[in-house]
Amino acid sequence: MGVNISAPYIYVCTRMRVRKAKLLPREEYMRMLNMSVAEITRVIEETEYKQEIDELGTAFKGIDLVEVALSWNLAKEYQKIQEIAPGTLKGFTHAYLRRWDIQNVLTILRGKVQGEKPGKIKEILIPAGSLDKVVLDRLLSEESNDRIIELLKGHRMFPVLAREFPAARESGSFSHMENELYKQFYAEILADAKAGIKGASAFLSYIQLEIDIKNAKTLFRLRVDAQTDEDVRDMFVAGGTLSINDFTSLDSIRDTNEFIDQLKVNFRNESLHALMDELKGQKGSISGIEVRLTRVQLEQMEKMSKRNPFSIHPILVYLEKKKYEVFNLRALARGKESRLPSEKIAEYLVM
Amino acid sequence: MAVEAVAVATTDLASIQASQMGMKAIGAGLAVGLTGVGTGVAEMGIGAAAVGAIAENKDFFGLGLLFTVIPETIVIFGLVVGLLLLF
Repeated sequence: MGVNISAPYIYVCTRMRVRKAKLLPREEYMRMLNMSVAEITRVIEETEYKQEIDELGTAFKGIDLVEVALSWNLAKEYQKIQEIAPGTLKGFTHAYLRRWDIQNVLTILRGKVQGEKPGKIKEILIPAGSLDKVVLDRLLSEESNDRIIELLKGHRMFPVLAREFPAARESGSFSHMENELYKQFYAEILADAKAGIKGASAFLSYIQLEIDIKNAKTLFRLRVDAQTDEDVRDMFVAGGTLSINDFTSLDSIRDTNEFIDQLKVNFRNESLHALMDELKGQKGSISGIEVRLTRVQLEQMEKMSKRNPFSIHPILVYLEKKKYEVFNLRALARGKESRLPSEKIAEYLVM
Repeated sequence: MAVEAVAVATTDLASIQASQMGMKAIGAGLAVGLTGVGTGVAEMGIGAAAVGAIAENKDFFGLGLLFTVIPETIVIFGLVVGLLLLF
């Protein structure tokens, strides 16, 4: 190490670390839980979101202002990072950010089905993936969903969209299509990570962690909502450290304590073990468990970024943490707007 | 005969002294040159990290600069050794 790591890697990874240090700490969220939307807006105006709040202050008010400013800031951050990422890390960052294409396209399709105005849909789009602002605007300006999908011809999402959309439209639920899109996305980035590019093993370990945590979340969700007419195997994403068979056999265990024990045997992850020990014997809400699993993922990523300080990991940790900061602030503002009690909002925050 | 021998000895001595001086010069050159390379390698990482930190937070400028020039001590040691060799 040392000599064979080039300066741009050190430069970018340090920048990411400084940015990560600037993210809102837990105490700040606790303080915000007792504030109104206007006060929250003022607090975030004093942080990294100042520019967006100032720019949009004249056009939007209240909750809309917070929402749009957060989306803009997130998109700006992501684009900036794509610009500065050096060498092979740029490719990995692009690959990681492609998930926003799925999110954006699904948001547009769902918005159109529900008859939302294009302006309203645009507020929550994050133009960070391969579909930029111009393309998203063009998609938004289309009236029918069929036209939108047609416009995406040539994009890597198109085959799955064309295959799954008719059934999704008929059933009125996009969840199966969403699953398929994410499965394709993970399969593609796994292929990228296994292509033998320098630094790819670090990226691979991150994707495997993410897939494992995603599948674990699905497991817990399936336990709560056992009635499903879909094949369980279809819901898990392949490519993690555990195979789909492992997950389906875990899913078939009915006794909660046995299930948790088995999960502990299968995963070699200390923070997850600690969480499992806590969950044993107590019944938490599914959203609570999901938030905690996300925290396990972030903790593990933090550990990995310390082990490989000049790899893709510091960038990914920052990207993920930034995403959750924006989610947290949005949840806070939305929760306050609909007058939810603070304890209820706190359950949804990843901090 | 004897005069000739003395003359040969003097030329030998002169050439030995000259070669010693040359060796010292090479040693001094190596001392400064290699430590310079060492300093450069050490400063690469620190400098890159310092510029990264400064890009995010301007307040870090003073401290960043200080940390970046700390490996200069290595080349200064080299320079001192070089000077000691030569004078």
